[in-house]
Amino acid sequence: MSRSTSFLDRSKSFFAEIGDMTLFAGRFFRELFSTPFEFKELIRQCYNMGIRSLFLVMVTGFILGLVFTLQSRPTLADLGAEAWMPSMISISIVREIGPVIIALICAGRIGSGIGAELGSMRVTEQIDAMEVSGTNPFKYLVVTRILAVTLMLPLLVIVGDAVALIGSAIIENLKGDVSYTLYFNKIFDALSFSDLLPATVKTVFFGFAIGLVGTYKGYNCAKGTVGVGEASNSAVVYTSMLLFIIDFIAVFVSDIFFEI
Amino acid sequence: MAKSTSQKIKVGIFVVVGTILLIGALYSIGKRQHIFSKTTQVYAVFGNVNGLQIGNNVRYSGINVGTVSKIEMTEVGKITIQMSVEEKTASFIKKDAIASIGSDGLVGSMVVNIIPGKNKQAVRIATGDTIQSYSKIGADDMLSTLNTTNENAALLTSDLLKITNQILEGKGTLGALINDTILAQDIRQIMIELRKTSEGTGLAVSRINRIISKINYDESAAAVILSDTVTANQIRNVFENLEKSSEDINEVTKNLNEYLTEIKSGKGALNYITQDETFVKNVDSTMLQIKEASEKLNQNMEALKHNFFFRGYFRKLERQERRAAKAK
Repeated sequence: MSRSTSFLDRSKSFFAEIGDMTLFAGRFFRELFSTPFEFKELIRQCYNMGIRSLFLVMVTGFILGLVFTLQSRPTLADLGAEAWMPSMISISIVREIGPVIIALICAGRIGSGIGAELGSMRVTEQIDAMEVSGTNPFKYLVVTRILAVTLMLPLLVIVGDAVALIGSAIIENLKGDVSYTLYFNKIFDALSFSDLLPATVKTVFFGFAIGLVGTYKGYNCAKGTVGVGEASNSAVVYTSMLLFIIDFIAVFVSDIFFEI
Repeated sequence: MAKSTSQKIKVGIFVVVGTILLIGALYSIGKRQHIFSKTTQVYAVFGNVNGLQIGNNVRYSGINVGTVSKIEMTEVGKITIQMSVEEKTASFIKKDAIASIGSDGLVGSMVVNIIPGKNKQAVRIATGDTIQSYSKIGADDMLSTLNTTNENAALLTSDLLKITNQILEGKGTLGALINDTILAQDIRQIMIELRKTSEGTGLAVSRINRIISKINYDESAAAVILSDTVTANQIRNVFENLEKSSEDINEVTKNLNEYLTEIKSGKGALNYITQDETFVKNVDSTMLQIKEASEKLNQNMEALKHNFFFRGYFRKLERQERRAAKAK
């Protein structure tokens, strides 16, 4: 009996949290289009999330391209299809692996950062203080952060993709004696607009999800230092799960409109 | 501003259910591609689809026009495939189009190729139509054929090996031809003789040619017969008449034969006349008797002239004769 009650309670709280997050997102959109706009804070957050994540994203992307090429090379070489290497690598990185891996990295770095930052602000009652002082904390803290991630993530993904392809080209140049010019020519032959557009649109939603879950968890942080840790942790976990759900839907939609 | 927990739960359920519905809808849409363009369903029946799968492309003259939407075995050895063809291009596909299954590249997936028919007046396809199909030879069939070819080739080469060995050993005519030096000399001699003969023949032929050219061909009987159609007709008539005559003669001789046999067999008067000897004797004696009788009659007539009764009559006749002579 107690088990079923706990299950009911848990599912209740699960749906309540999703509902609350939806309402939180609705509030974000309402606040987004109402004055005053916090441009300065937005730029600061963009710098904070974009530029500061750049190195991490580049390193991850580079290793991703390197390893991916190294791993798939033998299989294609068995088939005598090394010539397909550039098109296969580029399509899988640009379409799927690049956006998802980089979004997950950003969820770890940015999502948890937002969760911890806002959580500690909530715990130290800075948010309450802002409310008292007449500043809209939601607008200043939440809207700017969500917007910044949403804007920055597509750029980070594009950079990450490019670096991954460079990594792949290096391996192919070392292992297969393929010149960089030929390799990139082949990559751009294989890639089309229908590969890049859905992938980039997808990253906008990824960015929004990271920002939304991070800020929600931080903004609604429970009291105490445990709450801060929990907020930052659950921000990453929820974001990762949400990323895959969004990816799943995005692939379906792009499949219909772009006929993979 | 703050929402109650139940409201939040409702919103949460709404979002989750909405997301699930969205995914379901997207899945069903993704399953049936070309959902946004109107399609025409066309069917084709194959004996072997060579690994064709639902969703494989359908090509018309090399353009992708739709996808395979259903593959179904209707009877043993009869597989019906349903193709969803875009309405736009379906109008160009006529009812006499032929579908065949091919592969897309070396290791690519299978495709259905629709080839336009030759009849330009044919009606365009409509939903539910079944078009003709043409099964290309599958790889397995090809390999099995190749296998038999291989076996045959092996037998052939082993036979060839035997033959070449025998030739090398100088067995048989061919071996002798190749290896026997005396035979080669003989053949060379034969060739020389043959050349001489052919030269002689050439001379003879040219001589005959000269002779033939001297003959005045146009006026000879042979030429007339060969070239003049009128004469030919006449000759034909002559032959026809001859044929008729010979038939008639045949008939006549047949009749004569019958006649003669009848005569010989002893029927009729002629036979009696010709064959009976007693008859001849009778006639002979009768003739003698008639002669005697006529002499006697002459005597009787003389006697009559002198008779009393008839003397007057005869004197009268004499007188008349005398008068006639005087008148002259």
